[in-house]
Amino acid sequence: MGEPAISIVEHEKRQEWWWAAEKKRSSRLDYLRKAIWKKGAIGGLYPQGLYVDLERPVLQTEKARELESSPDPYVIKFAKILAHVLDNKTIFITDHSQLVGYLGSLPNTITWDPTLAAVLNHEVVNDPTCIQEPLEESLKIISEVADYWAGKSDLDKIMPYLDLDDAMKVLSGAIGWGVPLSRGGYSGKDYEYIMTGVHAFEDIIEELDRRIDEADEKAHEPGASKEISDLYDKMNMWEAMKIALEAGIRYAKRYARLARIIAENYETDDERKEELLQIAEVCEHVPAKPPRTLQESLQYDLFIQLFSRNEAIEGAWPARPDYYHGPYYEKQVNVDKTLTKEEALDLAGEFLIRAAEVSQYKVKWAREGLQGIEGTWVWTLGGVKKDGSDACNGMTIALLQASRLVRVANPTFAFRWHPKVSDEVMREVFECIRQGLGYPSIRNDPVLIANAMNWHGHPIEEARTWAHQACMSPAPCTKHGFQPMRMANATVNCAKIIEYVFSSGFDNVVNMQIGAETPDAATFTEYNQVFDAWVTQMKTVFSILVRPVNRARILAPKMTPRPFLSAISERSIESGLDVCDPSISRGNAWITAFTWVENADSLAAIKKLVFDEKKYTMAELKEALANDWQGYEEMRLDFVKNAPKWGNDDDYVDTIMLDCLHEAAKFSRELKCPSGNSWPILPENVSGNIHYANIVGALPNGRRLGDALYDGGISPGPGLDKKGPTAVLKSCSKIDHISDGRAFLLNQRLSPTQLAGEKGYQLWKTYMKTWADLGLDHVQFNCVSDEILRNAQKDPEKYQEVIVRVAGYSAHFVDISRKTQDNIIQRTVQGLG
Amino acid sequence: MPKCEECKNFFPWEDNPRKGDCVERAVDPRQAYYKAKPVNADQDSADCSSFQKK
Ligand code: SF4
Repeated sequence: MGEPAISIVEHEKRQEWWWAAEKKRSSRLDYLRKAIWKKGAIGGLYPQGLYVDLERPVLQTEKARELESSPDPYVIKFAKILAHVLDNKTIFITDHSQLVGYLGSLPNTITWDPTLAAVLNHEVVNDPTCIQEPLEESLKIISEVADYWAGKSDLDKIMPYLDLDDAMKVLSGAIGWGVPLSRGGYSGKDYEYIMTGVHAFEDIIEELDRRIDEADEKAHEPGASKEISDLYDKMNMWEAMKIALEAGIRYAKRYARLARIIAENYETDDERKEELLQIAEVCEHVPAKPPRTLQESLQYDLFIQLFSRNEAIEGAWPARPDYYHGPYYEKQVNVDKTLTKEEALDLAGEFLIRAAEVSQYKVKWAREGLQGIEGTWVWTLGGVKKDGSDACNGMTIALLQASRLVRVANPTFAFRWHPKVSDEVMREVFECIRQGLGYPSIRNDPVLIANAMNWHGHPIEEARTWAHQACMSPAPCTKHGFQPMRMANATVNCAKIIEYVFSSGFDNVVNMQIGAETPDAATFTEYNQVFDAWVTQMKTVFSILVRPVNRARILAPKMTPRPFLSAISERSIESGLDVCDPSISRGNAWITAFTWVENADSLAAIKKLVFDEKKYTMAELKEALANDWQGYEEMRLDFVKNAPKWGNDDDYVDTIMLDCLHEAAKFSRELKCPSGNSWPILPENVSGNIHYANIVGALPNGRRLGDALYDGGISPGPGLDKKGPTAVLKSCSKIDHISDGRAFLLNQRLSPTQLAGEKGYQLWKTYMKTWADLGLDHVQFNCVSDEILRNAQKDPEKYQEVIVRVAGYSAHFVDISRKTQDNIIQRTVQGLG
Repeated sequence: MPKCEECKNFFPWEDNPRKGDCVERAVDPRQAYYKAKPVNADQDSADCSSFQKK
């Protein structure tokens, strides 16, 4: 006899939220959730059963070959290659689904774009895990494709135009990650133009035709000028946009045709037949025309996301789904009553599932830095409307509820908290946190709106439209406010700054001079000399990473254009310029500061133990670090235990943290992007703290080479915040979250037992009030007990669905490395109240 | 020489019957689905293991 069935209530009591969800969700969501092929790499390797999709690279290569002798300019050739893929790739419709579209040809494929970078293509050639059988045949195709694109890929084209010295330092992998490509980063979208139900693809095509005709006429009138010369490029750009949009409409119609074929020839169940005919109707309508229903709105959005990812690798998914889909929800569920809440919940859940499936082959360092997920799909919920009123709606609640039913680790949500959010919505937010999803993270809307206005000069109405460009950084969704491409390589491994103070900028791990040649640290006799060297190293490292991005932004419009993304951007449609052209963007750049807090803790330890207490000399410390603390264990423990640590409301170290941030903020205003705006820093980590563990040498906070770094942002080191949650908040509140940087990530662990019931909600609400009153801009919570996490380490099969907050994203606990797992367990569980 | 147009899986396009969708049912370890890819009506199907005479 099998074990007696456990009730939902019992599962919830045991905090087995994933099993409770399985019993609560509809049979459709249950099927679709279990149908997902998880795509996130585990330990840098793709999970078993997945394989690299060769259909698309073959289509891209055959079209590129065909166009070699064509007189078309590059941007038109590029759009034609995109269209060829959309016209010819295999499409599929999964049983029970209502939303359609996937990047690859089959559900278990990872798409590979060979046009981006030879380094990426080499990784595919050498990938030991996901090449489809028969191996020899696949390898032959892969080699042919990789050979064809060698020297022709975006990075190959861009590299000769970058400063070689900077490029080598970036590519060393020591100080940053990512590449400066307009087709390889995080693409914001002009949602205010494309997602408000006013413009869809046919409207834009009509507008493009009109502009092309006008330009053509002007270009052939008697006369000559720069303006007329520029028109030829603009006409090409408009033509390329049109090609991309028309291909998008045809692609959707392919789904409509397939849905009808299934309904009319194969399906025997009448209800499913109706659903398939409904899919057909939806795909005949969108993206050609503006959506009319919630299903159409979600499908329209999904198509846009897929087309954009057919054009580029997008490592993030900036979105505000409740805001843009909410009006359709309200109309159908609350006004017309043509959709029940349950039906809307199914659609919201499936929308999350469709996004969770998206996958693009990435280089190994990116896979390692994003353990267990495919990218940082952080969707923004809540917030205010342009007029400042509360933007929450029925769709906000539906998405929060759906996330608890489908429990995907990616996408996650970030909630824009503000004082007018209703208690009903806050309870839904809390329920997701209590149920261990690790999301939503909470963002302080008034603070971040003020921050966007302060750093980048967005007018208030524009600033209020913000969505997360990646994990953390707010970017508006307007014509001039949105950022079409955040190139990830302005991501600094900041622990190197303090490391370089002791090596005069020489990197002993990768064996090259990367930082500034500051004076020998052994000769320093005052703390100020240490800090001055730190400032010099910070400025040097930031500049090395920012310069290639600036350069690539300037080169992008001609060398690596984005015709599809341009086609859904009002500023490009109007101007005929590529969406990445800095002249039509306000500029919204930021420097992601990985491994930041190590600097404050290290400087505090130096100041106290070397200069205040004079227990050690700088020469001794330099020697100890050079030896990775080996032979200096007692001294190391002194630096760990007897130096003040960030996060304990201790002014000694907190002041040093502020000194560092103020210097960085001052320099951020000197660093300019090609649009003329500043480069503020944003401390956060994804799982860079583990990725960089073997790249960052010994540090004065007592850390050795190989030890995990802190988990990021302004979070205290794991287990080093000993004075309770209010002390953490107080330390963090000393930072001015409007002017000291772009945003500041804070991880907190809470006890699931303490959060149980109404009392738990009230405790959390009080904590959140303190957080808001103190003016912090971010906080996110892990709320899974040590017991469950330890059990999951022992018996991973049984705990496949346990989700944890890693950094700016969530992941299934079993999909992250042991080191990251341990790092999460080590984080202090804060008792509230 | 058999051609795709003679196959049960071939569904010609209304606007261009010389082309069509090849539609097949597939079941993998996680899900079942119908897939489609464009083919030419006169494509040689001699080597196609999925060919089914209409
Ligand atoms: S490719 Fe094969 S299965 Fe498809 S239509 Fe042609 S013969 Fe039939």
